[in-house]
Amino acid sequence: MFGIGFQKIWNQKWLFFCMLLGSILLVATACSFPMYRNAVFNRMLQDEMEAAWEESGKWPMILEYTISVGDKEGVGAVASGEKLAKNAYTELGLTESETLYYYAISSSDAVPELERKRIDDISLRVSFIGSLEDHVELIDGEMYSEAGVDADGYLEAIIDEQCMLTNNIIIGDTFIFGELHDENGDPVRVKIVGIYKKSDITETFWQKGMSMYTNNLMIRESTFRQKFATTSLPGFTMVCRIYDLVDFTALDASEVKDLVSNTEEYQKRSSIRALMKEPEYTATLQSYLSRESRINTTLFILQVPILLLLCAFLLMISNQVYELEKNDISVLKSRGASRTQIFLLYLMQSSVMSLGGFIIGIPLGNIFCRILGSASNFLEFKVRRALKVQMNGEVIGFAIGAAIIAIAIMSIPALKHSKVTIVNLKSQKVQKRHSWWEICFLDLIFLGISIYGYYNYSHNTDALIESALKNEALDPLLYISSTLFILGAGMLLLRLQPLMVRIIYLLRKRWCGPASYASFLEAMRNGRKQQYIMLFMILTVSLGMFDAVSARTILQNTRANTAYLDATDLRVAELWENNSNAVAIDPSVEFTYYEPDFSRYADFDEVETFTKVYYDDTGYIQVDRRERIYVTVMGIHTKEFGQITELDDDLLDEPYHQYLNELAATPNGILMSSAFKDRFKYKVGDTVNYGSKPSVIIGFFDYWPTYVPEGRAVDENNETYTYQNYMVVMNYAFCYEMFGLKPYQVWMKLKDGADTGFFYRWVANEGIRLNSYVDRTEDLEDVTEDPLLQGMNGVLTMSFIVMLILCAVGYLIYWILSIRSREMMLGVLRAFGMHKGELLHMLINEQIFSGLYSILSGVIVGNLAYRLYVPMLQMAYSTTNQVLPMELITSTGDMVRLYSVVTLTMVVCLGVLAMLIFRLNITKALKLGEE
Amino acid sequence: MGATIKIEHLNRIFPVGNQQIQVLTDINAVIPDSRFTILRGRSGSGKTTLMNQIGALDTPSSGSILLDGKDLVTLSDRQKEDLRRKQFGFVFQAVSLIPTMTAFQNVEFALRMAGVRGDYRHRVEETLRMVGLAGRMNHMPAEMSGGEQQRVAIARGIAHHPSILLADEPTAELDSGMAAEVTRILKEMTRKEHVTVLMTTHDVGLMDAGDVVIELQGGRIVDVKENESNKLDVLS
Repeated sequence: MFGIGFQKIWNQKWLFFCMLLGSILLVATACSFPMYRNAVFNRMLQDEMEAAWEESGKWPMILEYTISVGDKEGVGAVASGEKLAKNAYTELGLTESETLYYYAISSSDAVPELERKRIDDISLRVSFIGSLEDHVELIDGEMYSEAGVDADGYLEAIIDEQCMLTNNIIIGDTFIFGELHDENGDPVRVKIVGIYKKSDITETFWQKGMSMYTNNLMIRESTFRQKFATTSLPGFTMVCRIYDLVDFTALDASEVKDLVSNTEEYQKRSSIRALMKEPEYTATLQSYLSRESRINTTLFILQVPILLLLCAFLLMISNQVYELEKNDISVLKSRGASRTQIFLLYLMQSSVMSLGGFIIGIPLGNIFCRILGSASNFLEFKVRRALKVQMNGEVIGFAIGAAIIAIAIMSIPALKHSKVTIVNLKSQKVQKRHSWWEICFLDLIFLGISIYGYYNYSHNTDALIESALKNEALDPLLYISSTLFILGAGMLLLRLQPLMVRIIYLLRKRWCGPASYASFLEAMRNGRKQQYIMLFMILTVSLGMFDAVSARTILQNTRANTAYLDATDLRVAELWENNSNAVAIDPSVEFTYYEPDFSRYADFDEVETFTKVYYDDTGYIQVDRRERIYVTVMGIHTKEFGQITELDDDLLDEPYHQYLNELAATPNGILMSSAFKDRFKYKVGDTVNYGSKPSVIIGFFDYWPTYVPEGRAVDENNETYTYQNYMVVMNYAFCYEMFGLKPYQVWMKLKDGADTGFFYRWVANEGIRLNSYVDRTEDLEDVTEDPLLQGMNGVLTMSFIVMLILCAVGYLIYWILSIRSREMMLGVLRAFGMHKGELLHMLINEQIFSGLYSILSGVIVGNLAYRLYVPMLQMAYSTTNQVLPMELITSTGDMVRLYSVVTLTMVVCLGVLAMLIFRLNITKALKLGEE
Repeated sequence: MGATIKIEHLNRIFPVGNQQIQVLTDINAVIPDSRFTILRGRSGSGKTTLMNQIGALDTPSSGSILLDGKDLVTLSDRQKEDLRRKQFGFVFQAVSLIPTMTAFQNVEFALRMAGVRGDYRHRVEETLRMVGLAGRMNHMPAEMSGGEQQRVAIARGIAHHPSILLADEPTAELDSGMAAEVTRILKEMTRKEHVTVLMTTHDVGLMDAGDVVIELQGGRIVDVKENESNKLDVLS
């Protein structure tokens, strides 16, 4: 049986190559999904953690325990608390980064007596931080000794810089805690031996935010424990704080869900509840989880079409194999082979293919996954941060699943075909049937569902935006709608194809040469055999177009939106000094800001133009007595502002620079957002009196750099609502006249190719304090790296490439083999005297009816599909509030790539056909019929 | 009108590997106009090869084939193709109907090939009636028996009024009754359509039908018989 199997495979090697290719691509695509997902989730998790760290300045994963030990609890509570904290790591399955111990004698019970001089209002506490000595640098004095106690019985302590300054303590100072007694009953005496500073503030050790250690006299841990934590001493309270700093880098995305629920459970335990502070990391993890589920669904939905297409490809090729082996099967049957035996033969053959697919598919999936992770735009790749791709059980599971599906697709039709015997094979040839899908109107059903989906969403755009705002998972119907539309419309055009051919045939019948005549009849009668490959071509072209347009549109619009909101390359607001201290002392002093030196910005080589922009989004105007309208005020130098920013003229009634010119010409002129016009019925030329001076309205705008006309937000009841934003733009000088000198932003346009690195170096080196900054390059890169957008881009790009491969290889091999099966017929036609040219003409005609028709159908379907569905996808995907009107982005390059691959495939196909015809030996071809 | 074929000193040698295999050796024969000539011989005797030379599907190594005095060997490919289209009709051993065309369309196709202009319907119906298939014109080849298919092939072979109809083992895949019927029809064509018919066969039972029977053995003509009774039949 193995012999027969391998012989069969060798005979049809090209088709089996296609099957192998299909299996490989199916396994690779299927397992790249969990690989990419796991990798991107881990990256996302780390990003979330780091963002939380940056925002709060605290280590992002801390379990914090506070144990108060007084007379009642006894020192035994310390040991049990420490044990509890230590066990938490294993109980929650976390990796320890560092455990910090900070114990202090509560200062309310121990008032220090200063021997050198007396200051009443300071309170100091005796405390220790575990292994403090390893993380500090002494700036004066020395470290406490090994014993921790000096010859006179003083406890040696070190203090931090801040403590020294605020309390005016120097080295050698001693303190007596009258109410605090050591194990001998003597009052505790402490001597300051050193002043420390943190040696490296970036160490995890300091990530707890250790400012609270001021006013602590830090003594050696062992000394502290010996004096206070091992003997039961009455009369004071000891506060023990234990911080479990969890190594969040060891946390795997797959564990997050369990961790959140485990942490909740853990907190509820009676032994923990009183001691542990609610960990802040659960909120971070919750927000991560909601994003994760959205991305998960979305990526899966995006992959469905390509997976279906791969299955369809395998089905098509295996059908072709069965078609060619029909005779063999019927011969085997008539020689006594049972259906089971025939099925087993094909099962074995499919398993070999799938095994091949499995072995090659997994490493290829890894490559696919890396491609996904480096997609920076449609069909563009740039590795900024390589993904850490891991193999795990899930990946293998997906690969096995895909391999099993491939086996099923390739072997199950054997059950159907093994029913056929020689007798009914002949009668089967006679039957002219409609395909099963034509009979049950699957095309119309698909179209119906997809149009329902379209109708549903186009009338309910709010729901889409709402779900995007709430980070909810994408409704599968939305993406499925577009896929079903493509499938349904493609199938409908396929159903119409024979009708179209018939109409053309009837119109041209009388004038048909023999070649056209033969090809018309071939197309009308045998057209159904081509349905798979035709559907495949239609799907390739239309999905290719749809994928290209949706990827580009979604990404480009999001980028354009970010670019608009950021307005220019770099926007910086420095923190301005002011005289608030003086005003606090003497209210009659006028409040003044001290303007930093603006000319420094002229020194940067990387900056092309820079300008001051007064930007205040906290102002308001009083409309009538009750209502305030919050208004963003912008004061600009029109010339520089025009050089630095740009705005598409389509977005405004007049060209952008026209607005700026008019503003420049009218010193007290103001530009207002259209919201004012709608609400207050203002007209151009009206004078308004909002500030200290009257101003003249010289124009209204719908869009202005940074301006968001309408905002959407989710309220506490989780309902979204919209609100209008108001903006006023005026000349900087006029602004200055009205409001005086106030902190402004510096807007910079960088030279082409300049990096923003220079700015951060400058800030770090000069110790510049920033109130805020906006870095457009960085924001745009964040858009590209957004896991949802990048995943979408990657999946669509990969689908596009896989489709092109399938189309080129599959179509070519499929066509050539189906032509070769007609070689004898071609021989007959040649014998009748048909010229080679006529034969070629006939085959070209057939290609036009199938190939060209499919391509044109694909173009029509693809066009319709992206016009209908991409705007909705854009709404659903947008990670920010889309401000600018959406624009469909079609790239000529993509279409050229798509069409050139398809055309090249067809040209190669024709070339091979021509070669086949010119090499055709009539007498040999005729012999084929005699075998 | 039919045509006379005169074969003179025809040789056909095929190169197989380093060897030369002579399939036809010094063939000299006349195939008379508007008569039914049978080329008989065992399989491997060179019947089909000779037929392919006469049908201008293959080129002889030497010798000439004169069709009404014109040598086929000297014709260009294009001229040969035109000749096959207009002057020749073919019926092959294997069923050679175009599977996507009905009986009617198969015959119509031959007319289009020959460049016949005007209304095909009358002629198609006429030829199909001649082969006894008037009632099955709109059937597809797969819906007909082997004998019926061969009859359609004959109708197709003569529809465009060729001068010569070449039938290579048309009865090989048919039972004896059907074979006799197909032979009868072929013979009838010489009278009804005035076409020269050349049929190859290995079936000894069919020899009586031929006006002329040429026997081929090992690539040489070993016997030529004229059938007297048939001669009378033609004359009467």
